[in-house]
Amino acid sequence: MIRGTIIGSVWATRQAAGLAGRKLVLVAARDAEGRASGRVVVAIDTLDAGAGDDVTVAFGSGARNVLAPGPDNRALLCDAAVAAIVEGAG
Amino acid sequence: MFLGRVTGSVWSTVKWPAAKGLKLLLVRPYRLADLPPTVAGAAAGGESLDDLVVCADVLDAGPGDDVLVAFGHAARVAIAGALAPGQTPDAPIDAAVVAVVDRVELEGERGPGR
Repeated sequence: MIRGTIIGSVWATRQAAGLAGRKLVLVAARDAEGRASGRVVVAIDTLDAGAGDDVTVAFGSGARNVLAPGPDNRALLCDAAVAAIVEGAG
Repeated sequence: MFLGRVTGSVWSTVKWPAAKGLKLLLVRPYRLADLPPTVAGAAAGGESLDDLVVCADVLDAGPGDDVLVAFGHAARVAIAGALAPGQTPDAPIDAAVVAVVDRVELEGERGPGR
């Protein structure tokens, strides 16, 4: 997982069938000091996170588990998902 | 997933049979510094040093298009629906275009918050 800040949203009409109805957010990843590292990822958001929110993003099968419990979720099109909205980190 | 711009394509004659007929695009990932300076952290600069990503495309994207690219199993799920009869979704593909982007709404463009 990574920690990052939501900086926007993405819309597309021409998309793979498995993405239909998904809310997609742009997340600026943070480095070890908590600053933006420069890397930007796109994640599926089911937690109703908004711009400026501090979030964690899970990748791979961990991301699929955010959308539906495993192990029978391999048909889902999801490689990145917002897993938590962060309230504090130390 | 990441947001990127299609910069070109790749073709080959020698390849794994399961990858036959798959169109491959070159995509350059957007970095924070590529976004408008109104986005927090974007003005900090920094060059785009990421590698170009080669990804399968069944959505007919082309050079100049902004696209979303998924990695791993999600990439194979995305291309599975477009495979020819008899083709299996076990192509040696780990990245695929999953959307051709219409619009990106960035913080600061419509005010902060939800």
